[in-house]
Amino acid sequence: MSLAIQTEVKEAPETPAEIAALEPKVSVRRLNFYYGAYRALADNNVELYKNKVTAFIGPSGCGKSTLLRILNRIYDLYPNQRAEGEVLLDGENILNPKQDVNLLRAKVGMVFQKPTPFPMTIYDNIAFGVRLYEQLPKSELDARVEDSLRRGALWDEVKDKLDASGLSLSGGQQQRLCIARTVAIRPEVILLDEPCSALDPISTAKIEELIDVLKQDYTIAIVTHNMQQAARTSDFTAFMYLGELVEFDETTKIFTNPRQQRTQDYITGRFG
Amino acid sequence: MADVAATPRYHRRRWRNRLATALSIGAAAFGLTWLVLILLVLVVKGMGGLSLAVFTEMTPPPGGTGGLLNPIIGSLILTMLAVLFGTPLGMLAGTYMAEYGRYSKLTMVVRFINDILLSAPSIVVGLFVYEIMVAQMGHFSAWAGAVALAIIVIPVVVRTTEDMLLLVPNTQREASAALGVPQWLVIRHIAYRAARAGIITGVLLAVARITGETAPLLFTALNNQFFSWNLNAPMASLPVIIFQFALSPYADWQQLAWTGALLITAAVLGLSILARALSAKKVQL
Amino acid sequence: MIMDAAIAGKEFSLVRADAQRAKTLRRFRIGDTTFKTITQISAITVLALLAGVIAALVHGSLPAWRAFGLDFLITEKWNPVTEKFGALAPIYGTIVTSTIAMIIGVPISLGIAIFLTEICPERLKRTIGTAIELLAGIPSIIYGIWGLFVFAPWFQAHVQPFLIDTFADVPVLNQLFAGPPYGIGMLTAGLILAVMVLPFITSITREVFDTVPPVLKEAAYGIGCTRWEVLRRVVIPFTRVGIIGGVMLGLGRALGETMAVTFVIGNAHKIFPSILAPGTTISAAIANEFTEATGDLYTASLIALGLILFFITFVVLAAARLMLMRMTLKEGK
Repeated sequence: MSLAIQTEVKEAPETPAEIAALEPKVSVRRLNFYYGAYRALADNNVELYKNKVTAFIGPSGCGKSTLLRILNRIYDLYPNQRAEGEVLLDGENILNPKQDVNLLRAKVGMVFQKPTPFPMTIYDNIAFGVRLYEQLPKSELDARVEDSLRRGALWDEVKDKLDASGLSLSGGQQQRLCIARTVAIRPEVILLDEPCSALDPISTAKIEELIDVLKQDYTIAIVTHNMQQAARTSDFTAFMYLGELVEFDETTKIFTNPRQQRTQDYITGRFG
Repeated sequence: MADVAATPRYHRRRWRNRLATALSIGAAAFGLTWLVLILLVLVVKGMGGLSLAVFTEMTPPPGGTGGLLNPIIGSLILTMLAVLFGTPLGMLAGTYMAEYGRYSKLTMVVRFINDILLSAPSIVVGLFVYEIMVAQMGHFSAWAGAVALAIIVIPVVVRTTEDMLLLVPNTQREASAALGVPQWLVIRHIAYRAARAGIITGVLLAVARITGETAPLLFTALNNQFFSWNLNAPMASLPVIIFQFALSPYADWQQLAWTGALLITAAVLGLSILARALSAKKVQL
Repeated sequence: MIMDAAIAGKEFSLVRADAQRAKTLRRFRIGDTTFKTITQISAITVLALLAGVIAALVHGSLPAWRAFGLDFLITEKWNPVTEKFGALAPIYGTIVTSTIAMIIGVPISLGIAIFLTEICPERLKRTIGTAIELLAGIPSIIYGIWGLFVFAPWFQAHVQPFLIDTFADVPVLNQLFAGPPYGIGMLTAGLILAVMVLPFITSITREVFDTVPPVLKEAAYGIGCTRWEVLRRVVIPFTRVGIIGGVMLGLGRALGETMAVTFVIGNAHKIFPSILAPGTTISAAIANEFTEATGDLYTASLIALGLILFFITFVVLAAARLMLMRMTLKEGK
């Protein structure tokens, strides 16, 4: 049964056996999240497989960004927000109060919806995070900055103006700068929170190409309100609705033959 | 449609409006005229005594000639010390309120108390420092004067620092936290950098404020007829000299008082204008 | 392919990175705890300041309270020789001069604020607005010497005789405006104070007026309201609490003012019915007499005056802040 979606869905290379053999990099078990007394996430269970791209889709307010922000405990910055349940990164529960959040965030990087270059030069934007954790001689630091900018598909465009302010770049370039900045500190997981929603289609396409390459070295989770983007870029997709994780499966399955009625309704545009 | 213009009621409304407008313009003219008048008199009378001697000679005994060198230097020293003592404390407090303690009850209380201290009578500050420093030490001193002025500086700096830091968007903080940067480095590298111009403006405004303050110095630094670098002794300052000379019956002292007043006003206005110019060229985010 | 194959093969030593990372994380933790503690202590210091001021004033004024008790507040006599002191005259003077300042200053300030926000043409608005802000920063001692040398003589020669003559036959008012025309005195001090608080109240009122959402005003204009009607029916009701807060802030300022008043108040520890007569205010009394005060009781009485002043201004300022807080809450900040 094929559904009339105008999009290219990725080929599903994995056989069931191969899927079973995939290691989960991040496991979310029975996750509940509260803003004050209000429960925003109810009993979510999902896995992010190593070196795969997992997309989170769903209508506005379904909790996909909320869930993403738990994975690096960025919600810790605000009072009145708390998570219950387990989120295992390589087997360790990161919700444990004893977990060092700075270490966690060095392993799990995040790129936000709005590009946020720091008010520094392009070079310093990348070097800032690196300098914190490592004492590198200048030549190595230069090499690291170049490597990160290449991984962020930005090197060719800025290699002659590393001293320019990060704010002088276009929106799409700024976002790639933020991606480069994130990979500079060698994370293992990269969280992308609607990274293209503030960008034009050409920048969006560039970043989607980038994601495809990045997944070779990192585990990626992407939140998007654009279903076609999810279908284009991800290997696995999770559909969320009103705080519940309704269905999680290979992207091809979700978009061609979902198990849940609600998923099908969303995919076919019955509700938005 | 009824002809609105013709009704007597409409005429009354228009008349009332005209009266109100006239009164308002009148009030503005009246108020502004007095203020301009004061400035004019100040300039005319002050310039009358302005000469190089004002900046090079010490205050004279009555009937003699002299200048305002020791009060000028004294004011500069006291101001610098006050800023040195008050700014770091104020900045740190403001940082706590905007960053670590942004949602805490302590911050709410401190903000409230700080705003009250901001407008508290400065003579009371003078009495306070008299009690804790002059009475304890047994003598007046420049240190006491500096502390009194610092107490006036602190609330200004606290308020400005907090306001400026709160303006830094949270997205910047989240982006650096997401890199694993600890809070104190986020504050240092991101928040302070972004709020820098605003905080400097706040310090300038605080300096402008204490430049003209007389009451807190009256019984802390007291006054000194002679030139002195000794911080442990009374120190002359422009406002206190003006106070003493203006209330005296000697014409040349009164003239020096006017000139001193002109100098203070010029300094205050200059600093305020500088502060505005700085805040106009804010660091873009 | 967007990634340059040339950098493939560059390896970074992971082991070294991990060891460094552990050290760094420890440094982060220590840094955070230290910095947080330092800033917290600084914030508490602000509270300590207030507590310190109150404590110092209470401590310093104890001899006076012990000697006179609460009668201190209602005794007019102030005699350093017999060591009998009473705060009534300074308190009276403080309240009267501030009241005069408010009565004259507030309507004019409101008028200026209305002029600036509603009537003034755009080109002039910034200049005049900036001028007012700058004038608000002029130190009060300037107003003081201007008052003494320029205003008082003029007032004495031209206005006071006029006031005395005009009200000479009006019952009650002729007491209030009785001569002789000293030039200096309560009315003069009140007027100087009025000029001093003008820029202050004007700029607060302006800020408060600017919080009115333009759509609200446009809606009123849209149904044909005149400017005055928009002001009276929309702007002022909307900002009423803020205006009161601003006025009270100005009052707090006026109550605590020293220099603008000391020069022209006349320094008489007596209460005269006429406002043309000299008097004294709390801050003027302290400023004039503190350094010459001999004897512990004299000094303690002056400090007691300071405590009273602090108490009065604290109450006024706290009330003002609470009102302004309510206004910003309403704005939805």
